[in-house]
Parts: sequence; C-alpha cells; structure tokens
Amino acid sequence: MHRYGRRELFRELGLIVAALIFCLPFYVLVAVSLKTDVQTYTEPLSLPRPPHWSNYSEAWNTGGDRGLVHSFQSSLIITLTSVVVLLVLGSLGAYTIARHSGAFSNTVYVLFVVGIILPFHLALIPLFVAMRHLGLVGNYAGMIVLNVGLMMPLTVFLYTGFIRALPRDYEEAARVDGAGILRTYARVVIPLLWPITATVGLLAGIVVWNEFFPALVFLSGSRYQTLPVAIYSFWSGVGERWNLIMAGIAIAVAPVLVFYVFAQRHLIRGFSAGVKG
Amino acid sequence: MTAAVTLTGVGKIYPDGTRAVTGLDLRIEPGELMVVVGPSGCGKTTVLRMTAGLEAITDGEIRIGDRVVNALDPRARDVAMVFQNYALYPHMSVFENLAFPLRAHGVAKPEMRERVERTARLLELDGLLKRKPRALSGGQRQRVAMGRAIVREPQVFLMDEPLSNLDARLRADMRMEITALQRELGVTTMYVTHDQLEAMTMGTRIAVLKDGVLQQCGPPQVLYQQPENVFVASFIGSPMMNLVDGRVDGAEVVVAEQRLPLPANGSAAALAAYSGRQVVVGLRPEHLTEATGSQERLHGLARSAELLGAEQLVRIELGDDTVVTARLDGQTRVAAGDRVELAVDTARVRFFDVATGRAIA
Repeated sequence: MHRYGRRELFRELGLIVAALIFCLPFYVLVAVSLKTDVQTYTEPLSLPRPPHWSNYSEAWNTGGDRGLVHSFQSSLIITLTSVVVLLVLGSLGAYTIARHSGAFSNTVYVLFVVGIILPFHLALIPLFVAMRHLGLVGNYAGMIVLNVGLMMPLTVFLYTGFIRALPRDYEEAARVDGAGILRTYARVVIPLLWPITATVGLLAGIVVWNEFFPALVFLSGSRYQTLPVAIYSFWSGVGERWNLIMAGIAIAVAPVLVFYVFAQRHLIRGFSAGVKG
Repeated sequence: MTAAVTLTGVGKIYPDGTRAVTGLDLRIEPGELMVVVGPSGCGKTTVLRMTAGLEAITDGEIRIGDRVVNALDPRARDVAMVFQNYALYPHMSVFENLAFPLRAHGVAKPEMRERVERTARLLELDGLLKRKPRALSGGQRQRVAMGRAIVREPQVFLMDEPLSNLDARLRADMRMEITALQRELGVTTMYVTHDQLEAMTMGTRIAVLKDGVLQQCGPPQVLYQQPENVFVASFIGSPMMNLVDGRVDGAEVVVAEQRLPLPANGSAAALAAYSGRQVVVGLRPEHLTEATGSQERLHGLARSAELLGAEQLVRIELGDDTVVTARLDGQTRVAAGDRVELAVDTARVRFFDVATGRAIA
C-alpha cells in the first residue's frame, strides 16, 4: 500500500481541477437556461436569482418548428427503435462471427472493423440518393435504418470481443442438456451478454440521441425533426434568446445524463471487455 | 436405461493438423465407471467431447447402446455431461439450472418439479434451490453440476475433470460421493481426469492414454501390478514406480553393480531371451523395505527422507547415479547419509524392454 503523499495530493488536485473544467459548460448551460432575457446579457455567469423556470415550458412548447415536445417524441421513437434493432441484429451477427472461426467470418469481422474507421460522410451523397429512391428519406424508417447501419460496425466489434472472451462451456452444456440453437441463444447466451448489451445500448442510444448531421440531412423538411435539429432551428427562429436555447439543450441532454449516471459501471465494464477481445 | 459405450477405431485430427486421438478402441460396459486418465494434452478430453457429440470424429465409430451416434447432435445422444468448471448457468437459480435439461426435453411442469426436488434431496441441495450459482461454495456448485446431469436420467454420464477445482479435502469427499452415487444409479460413466489417484480410487476400470493412443485398459489393481509399458508404470501409482537401468545376466539382473535373482514367475522365461542385454527394471517403492532377515537385498546411501507420519519416503542412491525411492516404516528414522539395506520383493519386480518400453512377460 502506498502512503498518501505529496504525489497523490497533486494528482488528486489535478483531477479535481479537470473535473471542474468539465463541469463549467454544464454550469453555464443551467445558469443561462434559468435567466430572463436581460439577465442573460447583463450577468451571464452569475447564479440565476430568482430562477426563471418558465424558460423551460416556453422552450418545450414553442421551440423548433412545432415545439420541442414533438421533436422529443421523434428523438425517442428513433432512438429506442434504432437501439432495439441494433442490439438484436448486432448480437446475432457478432455471435455468429465469434463462434464460427474461419476465413469467411474473419473477413466479415474485418469489414465491420473497417466500417468503424471509415467516416460516413464519404458515402453521404450516394447514400442519400439510394435512400431517396427507396423512399427512406424524411421518415422514421429511413432514419432508423440509417442509424442501425451507422452503429452496426461498433456494435458488432464490441459484441464480438465480449463473446470471444465468454467460455463456450455454457453453450455446450446447453446443447448436451438438450437445447436447440434458438433455446440456447435465448435462454443462455442472451442473459450472459447482458453487460455488453447494456454498454452497447447506452452507447448507441447516446450517439443516436445526439446525432445532428444525419438527422439534418435525412429528415430535412419532414415533420419528424429530432431534438438536436430542432434546437438548431430554434436558434435561427428565436434569434439571440440564449436562455431559451440553453433550456432546450438542457432538455435534450437530461435523459442522456440520467442514463449515464445509472449506467457508468456497465459502460466501463463492457468497453474493457470489448477492447480485451 | 443405461447403455454400453463402444468406441471403435476412433480418431481425431483437428483442422490445424493436430492428431489428438488415434485408433481408439474402448468399450464401457453398461453401469461401469470407466476412468480415462493421462497427462495434459493426451486427448482424454477430446475422447469425452467426441462421445458427447461436441467434437466431430475423424475416423471410426462411436456407439451408445446399439445406436451409432457419429453424426448425432449432442441432444439426440441421451448423454449428460459434467464440465470441469461446472458451466452452471450463472443467471439461473439452482432450481432453474436443474430444470433446464428437463425443460429442453419438454417434460411437463409437475413432473419436472418432482424430479428436480428428488434430485436435490439426493444431493442434499434442498435448501439451496433458490440460490444463484455465485452464492454457492465450490462443493455445492459441484453437486449442482452433478444434479443437472442426474436429473435427466440419461443413458450415459460424461465427466470432465469434475473435481479439479476443489480443494484437496473436498476432492477426497467428493470422490467417494460420486463413486457411491454412480453405483447407486448404475449409469454408465466415462470419467476423465489427469489425477491417477482419482483413477485408482474411482474407476471400475481405467484407460490410460498418451499422445492420443490407448496404453492400457483394465481394473486399477491390474494396471498397478502389471503395467504393460513404462508409461503406465510411471503414471499409475504415487510415488511413481522406480524405473532403473539393469542388465540381465543368466538368472540374475544387475542393478547398479548389485545382483538380484530373476523372479521365478512367468516373466523368467521371457527374460531368458534378454540375457546379456539391458532392460528397464521397475520397482514399486513399497516393494523395497528395510531388510531384516535373509531376503534379496540392495543397498545404498540415503540421500533424503520425507516423513509422512506412518511411513517415510527415502531416496536411496544405489550407486552409478541410480536412485530409487523406498517406502519405509516411519518408526526408525533414516537420515541423509545413512547406509540402508533394502529387502526386495523380487516376485513383484517388473521388467521392460529398453527399446519398446513394453513389459517383458
């Protein structure tokens, strides 16, 4: 055991300072979101006294094209559906890759890994044209297909790493016990994948929820604006009312923060498993 | 219904070219407990997994009862397996773990409950049915793994080093429990281990494997007393048999310049052909005792002595760098440097061909 010495003291102080720096934008966000129009400009960094809660209801009801409430709904539908489809398809794909060693599955795996590295923007125009032909622009289905596709490489990568580290004994025991492939997958494998499922679900959820550019391009002109796009148009709509913009951002960020606080442990555990792979 | 397991000419070559098992012929009689034993990498687990259907066989035929099962899926073979690390489903309670194989076979709920409870009573797991595997001790997990195999009432049990994760004391208890349980249930069992003590104490018969080839198969006593080759002689028994160089000279064998008469049993005739040639002489430590009368003798200097309580294991240098271990009585302490006279039970000495390693008999 190390003694708590000067070295540790400096290290902790450094970490505390770093944490404060990270917290600063959040403070500004919350402080400004609770100020009146005048206070926003006269004293932007002070504590809001008294807090002006009505900014939140105003942003909720009037922000974006049709109020943030509709965008919130769109974001929720797109995020939840994308994540569920991603988890089902990604885990099945990774399970097959991880459990069938061979040139074909290795190649498929490498292709998925390459998919993590390649920026999606490279394929933006052909993708847009193709999706428009398929009727997948300006609706939920298109956005969900797009998100699932964008997140699939990382999902397969993380799942594959986790499954490769998982002993085969459980599945073999289930086979000898008389279970078929489907029962083995549903009753034995899926529960064992819970830590990585939580990680991937949260990670993908956060990414999809925050996504701006794909939503801007593929949902432009539709009724299904997501939150980040709504907040952007909010800015152009309300001019320089930073207090309302900040309230909108706070509304958008809140679900992610709450999730993160509850799921930190899972995120870290799943990530380290994926990297070890 | 328990059934015989018959392996005929079974071989296994892995895709990378590794030859794990070669031409294995083995028959496990109905109700028998066959221990397959050998050092790590000898192919014993592969044999078990091929019988379970978890590994495809390259050559030969495996029968369970009258059925050839070569191409059958594990679940169609009616076998149950106990894994080395138990492979208890961590997210299920003990009850659910025990019920899993029954559910998979579509057993109706009331019957399932009844069979799980009966198995739990048999293994003294009644109070633990609601617990998850992580809340159990090593011994309890072991029992659950056994229970999951028993509850199905399969034709064959396959056990892959099921005691290797337990501490020494628990292992000794479980050895007896598993043996008793197997006798009670009368289910044909293939038990794989690297521990010759488990093999000796548990097996109705023992099959010794080395490099994927069967070396000898027989009851423990036969393997111990009449090993067919040097490998079996050295693998079975602890401390291992002393294997020293010797030369046959007429009716005697010369070991480290000391002479012993050849035994007056069946091997004498075979040994006659070896006159003037080198052989490997196998002496069990307990067949070397402290000389008191006019027995056949070897003598040497004690190098070290380990007192085990009732007995002591003494390493004795006979000369020419020939060292043997003798299991002597613990009463008279021997110290390093002492001269020791050893009486040799010549009737029990085994001789092996230097080139082939096979027993001369």
